[in-house]
Amino acid sequence: MADGHKPLSDILDEMALKILMIEPGDLSIVGELLDLIELLLPGRAAADTPVVIQRMAAAFKGALEKFIMGELADSAENYEYLGQCITEMQESARKEGHPGENILVRFCDNMKKIGLAVDPSSLLGGTAAAFAGQGDEEDGLQAEDECLAAAPPLDSGSAQPSGGAGQESIPDFLQDTDLLAGFIEEAFEHLESIEVNVLELEQSPDDMEIINNIFRPFHTIKGVSGFLNLKTINRLAHATENLLDDVRNGKRPMDSAVIDIVLTVGDALKSMVEDIKNVLQNGPANYKDTDIRSFLASITQLQEGGAEAPPVEPDSAPEPVSRPEVFDAEEEAELLAVEEAAAPVAPARPVVARAAQPASAPRAEPPASPAARASADSGPKKIGASIKVDVEKLDALVNAVGELVIMQSLVRQNKLVSRIADPKLTKDFSQLTRITSELQRTAMSMRMVPIKQTFDKMIRLVRDLSKKSGKKVDLIMEGADTEIDRNMVDSIYDPLVHMMRNSVDHGISPPADRAQFGKPETGTVYLRAYQKGGSMMIEIEDDGEGLNTKKIRKKAIERGLISESDALSDFELNNLIFLPGFSTADKITDVSGRGVGMDVVKKAVEKLRGKVEVQSQSGKGSLFVIRLPLTLAIIDGIIVRVGSERYIIPTIAIQESMHPEEKNYSTVHGRGENLLVRGDLVPIIRLYEIFGVASTYTDPCDAIVVVVENEGRRRALMVDELLGKEEVVIKNLGGLDVPGVAGGTILGDGRVGLILDLAGVMASKAD
Amino acid sequence: MEAASVAQNLGPGAELAGKYLTFSLGNEDYGVGILSVREIIGVMEITAVPHTPAYIKGVINLRGKVIPVLDLRLKFNMNHKEYDERTCIIVVEVQGQTAPVQVGMVVDSVSEVLNIAAAEIEPPPSLGSSSETENILGMAKVKGEVKILLDVDRVVGEGLLQQFAAQ
Repeated sequence: MADGHKPLSDILDEMALKILMIEPGDLSIVGELLDLIELLLPGRAAADTPVVIQRMAAAFKGALEKFIMGELADSAENYEYLGQCITEMQESARKEGHPGENILVRFCDNMKKIGLAVDPSSLLGGTAAAFAGQGDEEDGLQAEDECLAAAPPLDSGSAQPSGGAGQESIPDFLQDTDLLAGFIEEAFEHLESIEVNVLELEQSPDDMEIINNIFRPFHTIKGVSGFLNLKTINRLAHATENLLDDVRNGKRPMDSAVIDIVLTVGDALKSMVEDIKNVLQNGPANYKDTDIRSFLASITQLQEGGAEAPPVEPDSAPEPVSRPEVFDAEEEAELLAVEEAAAPVAPARPVVARAAQPASAPRAEPPASPAARASADSGPKKIGASIKVDVEKLDALVNAVGELVIMQSLVRQNKLVSRIADPKLTKDFSQLTRITSELQRTAMSMRMVPIKQTFDKMIRLVRDLSKKSGKKVDLIMEGADTEIDRNMVDSIYDPLVHMMRNSVDHGISPPADRAQFGKPETGTVYLRAYQKGGSMMIEIEDDGEGLNTKKIRKKAIERGLISESDALSDFELNNLIFLPGFSTADKITDVSGRGVGMDVVKKAVEKLRGKVEVQSQSGKGSLFVIRLPLTLAIIDGIIVRVGSERYIIPTIAIQESMHPEEKNYSTVHGRGENLLVRGDLVPIIRLYEIFGVASTYTDPCDAIVVVVENEGRRRALMVDELLGKEEVVIKNLGGLDVPGVAGGTILGDGRVGLILDLAGVMASKAD
Repeated sequence: MEAASVAQNLGPGAELAGKYLTFSLGNEDYGVGILSVREIIGVMEITAVPHTPAYIKGVINLRGKVIPVLDLRLKFNMNHKEYDERTCIIVVEVQGQTAPVQVGMVVDSVSEVLNIAAAEIEPPPSLGSSSETENILGMAKVKGEVKILLDVDRVVGEGLLQQFAAQ
């Protein structure tokens, strides 16, 4: 599996992010964690994964399985301990697999608090096999394999997989992978539109049009999944469709029970489609069967209960009785699939004939033909025609255009050509330049998508959170049409969720408290996106309690992040919450709700070459600002010269550059060099030293230093000369993976320049 | 193996028979399977990449694509020779960790494309340690001259594509 090559630190970072997203009762994330941790298990892990981490991973997996099986309490507290375990694994990874005794002891302590006994010495000594034996003794890892086999990927109340249907259907639905791939993509779109529409429906429950908008995608999913022999998905979609049909026919009201079940079914379908995608990519061995019986049961229950409540036409009576058979009998589902495929126009159920409302018209659409899928998909929201394009083709286009721009400037700079003093040529050249830059802009914009998709998911999140916590929260979104590089959409989702959750959970107080402070009972969270000076800005603002700056200061001093005498502005103090030392160790409530996991958010944002900051006023609310580059393909950089080499430093990391003065330069033990920059001692890194090139200057006072900041650490990079600022297209080095170098780019003269990876540069100096 | 398509069950060298691009390094002649060769370019300015073994000369701009370049002389522990107008970069494509990658190999000069029959190929000689011969597919005797047939995936793949983690 390709994932097997994921660097250890990435896996752990991802786990740290996932654990933040967990909420008690939400086992799907536990499943995701399980997938991740399996990459680190003995036998599966990359060869360079330290043994101790593999063992910690085994213990961790044991704990996760117990959560899934319900043997351990699924509580926020326990998840926090798990989070700390991840932190300790990260620390061990940083120490290259030689963690101190105390890290291991802490790891085991946390495991013990959850209720899983792990012996620290077993993590260190002996072989992996010996450890497995140890686990058995302590009931920690007992019957690990059976656990895994028995644990359903998406636990829905029962630990038994529903067997037969799934295994049979593996070869069936893989027969036509092209169709399947198409289905997966469409299903995701449909499910998303369902969710958006359901949330809209909450505002206006009687709007028939919205109910139809929800009904249609379910219908399409049902039809196509039946056609493709995806039985489980087909059955679940079918059952939900029936329920919605009752609503459309006025047999039952659209109440919160229906909305809830539609949302949960949507989630379940999503993860099922995700599984199918996994199978398609990684082979049938990855197939997981999802148990949908509890969904079906609750739908049936709703239908039976609901059908009796409102007055209904007499001929509806036999309907609910006959329906459950469909869900139980597997042949029925098969039959249904065949029926739909063979006679697409024929109504699947007799209900259609009876329905007299105009609303039922869309149902007559042939469900299984490709044309129908397309037509059901094109909702009223799409303006203008569009086509789907393979991302690879798009990337190839963007690359080709980039080459074109470079070639053009090369031709122009050619010595012979530049000597030609022909006004026609000059004019033609400037025309060519205009066309190519227009072409480049268009190509780039094709990779951009509105951030709306991501924002829409937040509506659901806020709704769920406010419902759960009993707080009243309004979410106001602005600038959802702002466009963002589609490669970034997925990566920004997790940090955004965490920050939104923070805002609702901890920022906004319960209605009673808010009333006391003279605020309206309903809190407001703003989610904004806009472009500003070549950056994409995302803001999350709440009118809640705000950060308690005094507490932050106290805690920072306790943790040794700042000293008693440091004079920091409120802004600086508030932003301390993004430091790693500030998180995980304490209970969430310590810093008036904030702080936990913010370092993870910051890391995720920095991975996208962005920045995150917070402004807050105690008692009035907080404003989180994320600044992201518009695209990941281009980086804004300063080109510096070191000897004969040129390197590019990402502008976003640069704080200032200067000719150092003698009096600000100091050494420690004659080696560690420091520079006093505005009152702070900043270590100097001589770039020529770590890159092994001959430089023009060896005395820092002759050279130029560029002060950069990365992950909260500042360094002064010593270079010979600043050559200029340029927006460069990032390219990988074609298989080379070098510490300190993030990638390459083609500079104006056609040569390759290397883009610095500051984290790597700082790390190589630290060694 | 690329040459496998022309393979017939004729003997030990059968699966190696096929077309090879031959080139010279010092006094020795080498061959690489033609199917892995993408193009041959003259030597151009190479940007050095830090923290890499000496035989990795750096990266070049191949029409907008950044590809690594390795010096075969240095790779085989031969003496360095100044690049001249006969020096060439042979761009080959090998299977990387996830996708195929292109890599340039600096050679003294490119000779010709030879059709090498199975009967002309002999197994690599044993030179004591296996590490010296593991890059070699076989030895071909063509018109009284010996061509060393290289396993490009090995030559390029192993040295280059693994991570040069800070060690």
